[in-house]
Amino acid sequence: MDTATLTFVSTFAPLAAFALGLVVFRRQPTLAAGVALLGALTSLVGTLLLYQRGPIPTPLLTRFVSTESVELSFGFVLDGPNLLMGVLVAAIAFLIQVYSLGYMASDPGKARYFSLLAFFTWSMLSFVYAANLLQMFVFWELVGLASFLLIGFWYEKPSAVAAAKKAFVMTRIGDVGLFVGIVVLLQTTQTLDISRIVAPNTIASIPPDRLTLIGLLLFCGVVGKSAQFPLHTWLPDAMEGPTPVSALLHSATMVAAGVFLFAKFQPLLVASTDVTTVVLAVAVFTAVLASTIAMVSRDIKKVLAYSSISQLGFMLVGLAAGSLYAGLFHLTTHAFFKALLFLCAGSYIHHVGSNDMVAIGRAGARSMRITTLGLIVGGSALAGIPPLAGFFSKETILARLADHGPPALLAGAYLAAFLTAYYTFRMMFLVTRPNPNGKLQPEHTTAGHGHGHDDAAHGTDAPWVMLVPILILVVPSLAAGLFGDTIGARLGFSVDAHPPVVEMLPAVGVTLFGVVLAWFEYGRTGASQLGFVNKLPALHRLFVHKWYLDDLYARSFGLLVNAVSRVAHLFDTRGIDGFTDGIGRQTIAYGHVTAAAQAGRLQLYVGTAVLLMTAFCLFLASA
Amino acid sequence: MNLHGFVLLSSLLFCMGIYAVLARRNLIGMLIGVELMLNAASLSFMAFNRFTAPDPVIGQVVVLFVIGLAAAEAAIALSIILAVYRSRRSIDVEDVTELVG
Repeated sequence: MDTATLTFVSTFAPLAAFALGLVVFRRQPTLAAGVALLGALTSLVGTLLLYQRGPIPTPLLTRFVSTESVELSFGFVLDGPNLLMGVLVAAIAFLIQVYSLGYMASDPGKARYFSLLAFFTWSMLSFVYAANLLQMFVFWELVGLASFLLIGFWYEKPSAVAAAKKAFVMTRIGDVGLFVGIVVLLQTTQTLDISRIVAPNTIASIPPDRLTLIGLLLFCGVVGKSAQFPLHTWLPDAMEGPTPVSALLHSATMVAAGVFLFAKFQPLLVASTDVTTVVLAVAVFTAVLASTIAMVSRDIKKVLAYSSISQLGFMLVGLAAGSLYAGLFHLTTHAFFKALLFLCAGSYIHHVGSNDMVAIGRAGARSMRITTLGLIVGGSALAGIPPLAGFFSKETILARLADHGPPALLAGAYLAAFLTAYYTFRMMFLVTRPNPNGKLQPEHTTAGHGHGHDDAAHGTDAPWVMLVPILILVVPSLAAGLFGDTIGARLGFSVDAHPPVVEMLPAVGVTLFGVVLAWFEYGRTGASQLGFVNKLPALHRLFVHKWYLDDLYARSFGLLVNAVSRVAHLFDTRGIDGFTDGIGRQTIAYGHVTAAAQAGRLQLYVGTAVLLMTAFCLFLASA
Repeated sequence: MNLHGFVLLSSLLFCMGIYAVLARRNLIGMLIGVELMLNAASLSFMAFNRFTAPDPVIGQVVVLFVIGLAAAEAAIALSIILAVYRSRRSIDVEDVTELVG
């Protein structure tokens, strides 16, 4: 099979599965799931074959629109980052669909669920391989639509509907910026072909002011999609969806799309120092902000969600500090261990029926051996314990930042790394070392688990169909870091040289300090289960209330939008509706007046006719 | 006898017909009123024909036509009246007000 056909097949197989599942197999959920799995497997095999063939520098294009000034060509690009991302998306999507076979086994919307997952995979794969910015934007929006549909999958739950709406609206705010950026870019460079935009001579031809403007506008889209401050608030709420959806959303699709867009336009974005400074500041601030919220949260999925936001900040730091390799390396390792952590969380939630970490720990989560193994490996990788996957990628980013960033930002990044280790091990200790005498009592939060629960059916651990994906993901979480350089070199990245061991020491030091602190406060026997922030009530309150950002948005933008829409509503009901209703009402009233003459009295009619006839005759006679 | 006498007589008959149609509550009475009006019209046609028209035939043709129409009209009207009577045991015009607006 030639490369173009192979790309086409691996991209569109999930779309075919989506159509089949939703149209033909709607009433046979098992068949729909099977078709979706088959589609995902086709994609996985296809992307792996493409990876095997290695990067192709020239894009495969078909002309779509051609005018005097603009030429639009749609097609596929198979360069290094795209091949890597394609394999990542297909692999994670496939594993999550396998896992979902167990997690969503008894859900009434199973057919719809698997079809939507296939749709999600198709949009993301098409986004990754896109050759043209406009084509990219189309699939960017489709990825947003797919996550909207999946976050609101349990649409009978009002909170899920609200979360889906929030995700859609918040990312749309960023997308407006992105779209304006695309228009400005098209006007400036006369092309939307990605390889031509990021060519050095094109970038050199753009005036500096324009370059900054375009960079900031494109970054708007990234902020929305990759949940960076100030648009990050949708991602924690997106936990309302089924847990495997969260795993997919947080690892290889949706939020990764923002970072990937940044990676594709990295030469353009880092060409302006203003843009670089803004991106670094926003990303580091987001990493710290999200970590502080994660360290006081008790909902296991919320902890993981905030950790995603924080790690996305790290990826952007790597990219903005000038290393495509560092950013995409962390994106890849993070996809593995974050998917693993979410699948483990889903397994606990499925088994215990609560999202509260204390409740999960008390319910004997330790006895779920394989899930707990996954949690420990994934957590350690996230915290950056050497030599797990997260350590290498985070190290590369920090080394890059140390070389190219201001010291204040480096300090912020170290703080975020410390907090990451702290909250990750806090989570692991709360789950695996329950302490009945601790200060934290289990609270029975309504689990984000909409489907019926039959405790008798569960054994000591989750079903095998859920454990196998966890076990598979354990392997790259352990080892992916070791192969970073090999894969990077094969895909044609300029691989960063590893810093000497002495420079690694501070990062390892803060990580280990975080682990030890978490052990002292949550892990050791007789631990108080009170964090160090509890000693500062004001700060603790701030973190628990998510820095009051949601309240701030509700108070300011929410009120403003409500006020405007109330006026618009009033104009609609009173003005437009009133006018049209008035015409109708007047017609009816006039009808009633004339209807009174239709009394059914024959002689009245005849009398009127005679009178009129007489009057007419007299008129004729007088004329 | 001259034209004035005939026109006067036919107007008298016509007015009696109108009065009958307007004042009678009975459908048969109204039908008689209509017939009176038709005959009044026929009479005036004949009179004008006799005293003014050069062609003696045309007025008679019209009158024969009117008589024929009147016969047909009477047949239809009577059958309607019969149908009304059968359906509601009354031929009072006040009772037939279904077509009120």
